[in-house]
Amino acid sequence: MDPCFHIQPVNMAGVGFRRWAQALSKGKGSGISALLSGSRAASSASKDSLPGPYPKTPEERAAAAKKYNMRVEDYEPHPDNGEGYGDYPKLPDRSQHERDPWYQWDHPDLRRNWGEPIHWHFDMYIRNRVDTSPSPVSWSTMCKQLFGFIGFMLFMFYVGEKCPSYQPVAPKQYPFNNLYLERGGDPEKEPEDVKNYEI
Amino acid sequence: MADYREAPLATRPKTLDPNEYFNLSPEQRRAEEARGAIRANLKRQYQTQLNNPHRQELIEDPALTRWVYARTNPYPHFKPTFKTSLLGAMFGVVPLFALYYIFKTDRDRKEEQIKAGTLERKFSLSS
Repeated sequence: MDPCFHIQPVNMAGVGFRRWAQALSKGKGSGISALLSGSRAASSASKDSLPGPYPKTPEERAAAAKKYNMRVEDYEPHPDNGEGYGDYPKLPDRSQHERDPWYQWDHPDLRRNWGEPIHWHFDMYIRNRVDTSPSPVSWSTMCKQLFGFIGFMLFMFYVGEKCPSYQPVAPKQYPFNNLYLERGGDPEKEPEDVKNYEI
Repeated sequence: MADYREAPLATRPKTLDPNEYFNLSPEQRRAEEARGAIRANLKRQYQTQLNNPHRQELIEDPALTRWVYARTNPYPHFKPTFKTSLLGAMFGVVPLFALYYIFKTDRDRKEEQIKAGTLERKFSLSS
């Protein structure tokens, strides 16, 4: 499985255009049909290196294992139940969090080497997303702690609703007979005495 | 922590993993060596391309190409089974009719309330 080397002494922007022009000139039909059929000049993704249908015979399995750079014993395709997997290998459902952080990966942020078979849900298992690494405490302890705390807080809030406790309050008391003159009382008339205290 | 039970779908810590302590037979070691050989071969190919001074383009990863191709082209391998048809119906057909029914009845009820004048017009932003 050697990739073909493209040693072209042109700049990066020119490479794509040159390949398109070559395809146009070397295309099967006339220039327009070559353009429309999307044929490209030689690239390493040939038809037999792409995923195919579910392997039925042991030879197909061996060929598929070789294609995906896996051992024949390790290669296990997804079960053939029509869900669209084809012969893509079923890798263990482990997140990239679990891979060794100290090993010299080719792509350190993805913790993956070049050419390594990619899990079907790789974009879910990257280090920003789903993490399947072992939890520091066991599942039962985690459940007990979380639900214990939530349950306790709910119970305390319920008790607080039933038996509220706050500073004693009373309506505000005003001097001068409850502000008789300010409230528009007659200045000639003598207001009745309002006593806002008890001795 | 002898009764450590891992979270569902997570793994056990390496020190509690039985794989570490029991998979030491010669066959397993040979298997590990074969895997290491494949890995070393891929590393060699990558490093050769990486350090090639005449290389001007990006290094293409065939595994990535295959992954992208597999994810975007599941259609040739699709077979209508019970499970796939059920999933398709649940996600594609049922929401269509269910949401139409829900919205229609809710809006009709509100329209009747407005016509009868019984709709409570509150000033809160939600509903």
